[in-house]
Amino acid sequence: MPAQGGPLTRALLNEEGTKVQKLFKTAVVAVISSLALSGCAPISEPKTVVLVTHDSFVISDELKQQFEAASGYELKLVKAGDTGSMTNKLILTKEQPIGDAVFGIDNTLLDLAADNELTTSDLVPIDFADVCLNYDIDWFAKKNVPVPENVRDLTLPRYKKLTVVSNPATSSSGMAFLATTIAVFGEEGYLSYWTKLKSNGLKIVAGWENAYFTEFSGSSGRGNYPIVLSYSSSPAAEVRDNGKSQTASIRTDCYRQTEFAGVLTGAKNPVGALALIEFLKSSEFQGSLPENMYVYPIDSNIALPESWSKFAPAALTLVGEELDVAGNRKAWLKAWSALFE
Amino acid sequence: MNKRLVGWVIPLIFLGVLFFWPLVNILNRGFEGDWAVHLVDARDWQITWFTVWQALVSTTITIALAVPGAYILYRKNFPGQRFLRTLITIPFMLPTIVVATGFTIFRDAANVWTDPIVWIIAAHVFLNYALAVRTIGSYWMSLDLQTEEAAAIEGAGRLRTVFSISMPQLRPAIISAVASTFLYCTASYGVILVLGGGQVQSLETEIASAANTLLDLPKVSALSLVQTMLSVVAFGISQTGGRANIGIELGEHDGQVKPVDRRDWLAIVITLPVVTLLIATPMFQIVWKTFTEGAGFVQNFVNLTSLGTRNVLNISVLDASLNSFRNMLISASIALVVGVTVSYLLAMPTKKRSTVLVNRVLDVMFLLPLGISTVVLGFGYLVTFGGYPLPLRETWLVVPLIQSVMAVPLVVRLIYPALAALDRNHIEAAATAGANRWQSFWLIELPMVRFSLYTAAAFAALVSLGEFGAASLLAYGDQATLPTVLYSLISKPGGDNYGMAMAASTFIIALTFAVVFAISRENRPEVQPKRNGLA
Repeated sequence: MPAQGGPLTRALLNEEGTKVQKLFKTAVVAVISSLALSGCAPISEPKTVVLVTHDSFVISDELKQQFEAASGYELKLVKAGDTGSMTNKLILTKEQPIGDAVFGIDNTLLDLAADNELTTSDLVPIDFADVCLNYDIDWFAKKNVPVPENVRDLTLPRYKKLTVVSNPATSSSGMAFLATTIAVFGEEGYLSYWTKLKSNGLKIVAGWENAYFTEFSGSSGRGNYPIVLSYSSSPAAEVRDNGKSQTASIRTDCYRQTEFAGVLTGAKNPVGALALIEFLKSSEFQGSLPENMYVYPIDSNIALPESWSKFAPAALTLVGEELDVAGNRKAWLKAWSALFE
Repeated sequence: MNKRLVGWVIPLIFLGVLFFWPLVNILNRGFEGDWAVHLVDARDWQITWFTVWQALVSTTITIALAVPGAYILYRKNFPGQRFLRTLITIPFMLPTIVVATGFTIFRDAANVWTDPIVWIIAAHVFLNYALAVRTIGSYWMSLDLQTEEAAAIEGAGRLRTVFSISMPQLRPAIISAVASTFLYCTASYGVILVLGGGQVQSLETEIASAANTLLDLPKVSALSLVQTMLSVVAFGISQTGGRANIGIELGEHDGQVKPVDRRDWLAIVITLPVVTLLIATPMFQIVWKTFTEGAGFVQNFVNLTSLGTRNVLNISVLDASLNSFRNMLISASIALVVGVTVSYLLAMPTKKRSTVLVNRVLDVMFLLPLGISTVVLGFGYLVTFGGYPLPLRETWLVVPLIQSVMAVPLVVRLIYPALAALDRNHIEAAATAGANRWQSFWLIELPMVRFSLYTAAAFAALVSLGEFGAASLLAYGDQATLPTVLYSLISKPGGDNYGMAMAASTFIIALTFAVVFAISRENRPEVQPKRNGLA
């Protein structure tokens, strides 16, 4: 004779359950009540402030404690991928934001952020970095090859199989370089430049880290490529025992990435978020930027470390500031991908 | 019918809330836009074609290598066999990010075939070889071997025996292995992401980049539709032809198997290079790099408690492992409870035509999570569970829950056929003796399918441990999992990071080997569903 009810309903309804049934019942009750609790927690004064940022954000423990002591809020970081995917996540979740403040939206994404009203007021600039080509001084000295002077030189036969860059589809520095080539060669000329680069043995990798730390000959990975797409600040990290940097950047035709911060629309703790933005603008945090994130502080009154003024000054000439990167991104990437896939 | 309906309530709420709601939510945003253009876009078709093509090539090679492998490792016996069986199982247990890294090192060391597609296919074969060998091998062991032996006595060569006698008998196992390998290869994400270097796109990576970099939701929705169709077709094919159990076989078999002899040379010639080159080399490379990369062998392990050079991690690898372990326990438990319930309800005997039809629909419904990109579902969670009425996103439960949704189809695929094939006599006898449904289920049916249960538990745990797409979206901050921190370390080399990734991978390889080797010591025969009786 079949008994009444399926096993699960019986497990839930049966008063005199077996041990297992009781266990199961407890588990179900625990799960349901924990869900309910998290949903119905009483609304109180927020004690934390949540900063949504990209994966490369670094803050020292001292600075974090300094902010927490001064503001009274605990600082929680949500690292939400690279700059692009962080911004996309913020757009997708704008009705119920994943934090209170954002740091790291760059100039290419400003319009997108504004169109979606991601922040309550205008985003404020915090730092900038210049995307430039770097080269391995030792390699060029040893081989007695003249160093390239600008982007155009990379297609010369003497630089065959010497250059590694990151993919514009998967990295922001790669996208900056694609924008650089569009600024230099124009919409009509940049694809033929990339075709020449390709036949000159250009190496493309997924991210800046892969290019710089693995493929580049002038850094810790001691790879096979003496020319790499990086930042004007990178040579400051390659100072050797002799007090000189092994690398240098080509400071012409660089693309400037400026990073912004702001209070997110719908933030649970807008007061804490505002305090955090003020902190990011303070001289303490600004002064930590070169050491911690290898970027230049937006506050020009902040003195750069000595090795920076010596080996890592900002770019001499900038290009691409007039380009609408956010608006054209999709079309550019499609055209570029057609060439490289 | 009534009781059946009541039983379905919990599984359907589970699937409805945790799968269909977020999925419809995210896809709808895309369908509001101009999504149909992507169904006729040349590049999107090319990507679809590449996805199918690489999966077909990977599957063909995997099966071609797995048949002789299954023969040598399961149909025959030789000293060291258990070691080799364990060895080939490790790849299947590794997070795909680790596998992709192993092959990156292999590629750079070999310095041949710079075409990333070659290495992607090699990695896919590496990942699926064990599953195919085990599926085919354990089925082969369960076959009656007399026909094969008779043919041998009649003077048929080994090759001829295999082709004309064994292969037709193995058909269900081979089709089952083909279908699961094909599904894994079409859904492959980590391998194509890392080995493709951003220059090779499959449906899965294209969906991820459309969502992550371009926020092109219409494209996400269109390509998700294509991907789901592909999976449903592959599943349909496996259902019509394959009945064999997908199995992690757990032990030695009865005395049927004979020692390897000289006439097995062809199978040995094929299997030896596969095991040494394809399977062992990438893993060896990872272990080797633990010594040569980063801060040195010991320090690389010590560093697993740190946040890496330039603080690239939010939490240490050690803490992420603890998160992963916790997620695994919870997600596997939920998947087992839901999956077993669904299997039980599907397997309940019925003669009503309408019930049979409804069961078919429910069967496919609970299979759908297999065919949906984890990244898409992850985005669905992001937009759906931010606040009222279900603020899951704020709790750590979100990751194990989404992983349990992905594991349920696997549990159902393993338990349902086993329950359906049970000899009803025992159950009816129990009912006659006065056992109620619950007692009969708990004391008779479940024990009878316990080997399928072990396998299902193992699979559900693996899904959770290796899952990357959804975790990379939802497990931020202090909730990072082992695969997400490994990806951070691997994609952000420099300083100690790469060495740390290698140390963590070495640890996973060693742990997997120890666990699988230990389990296989016990003498537990794998029970094929079709021959299930009271074991």
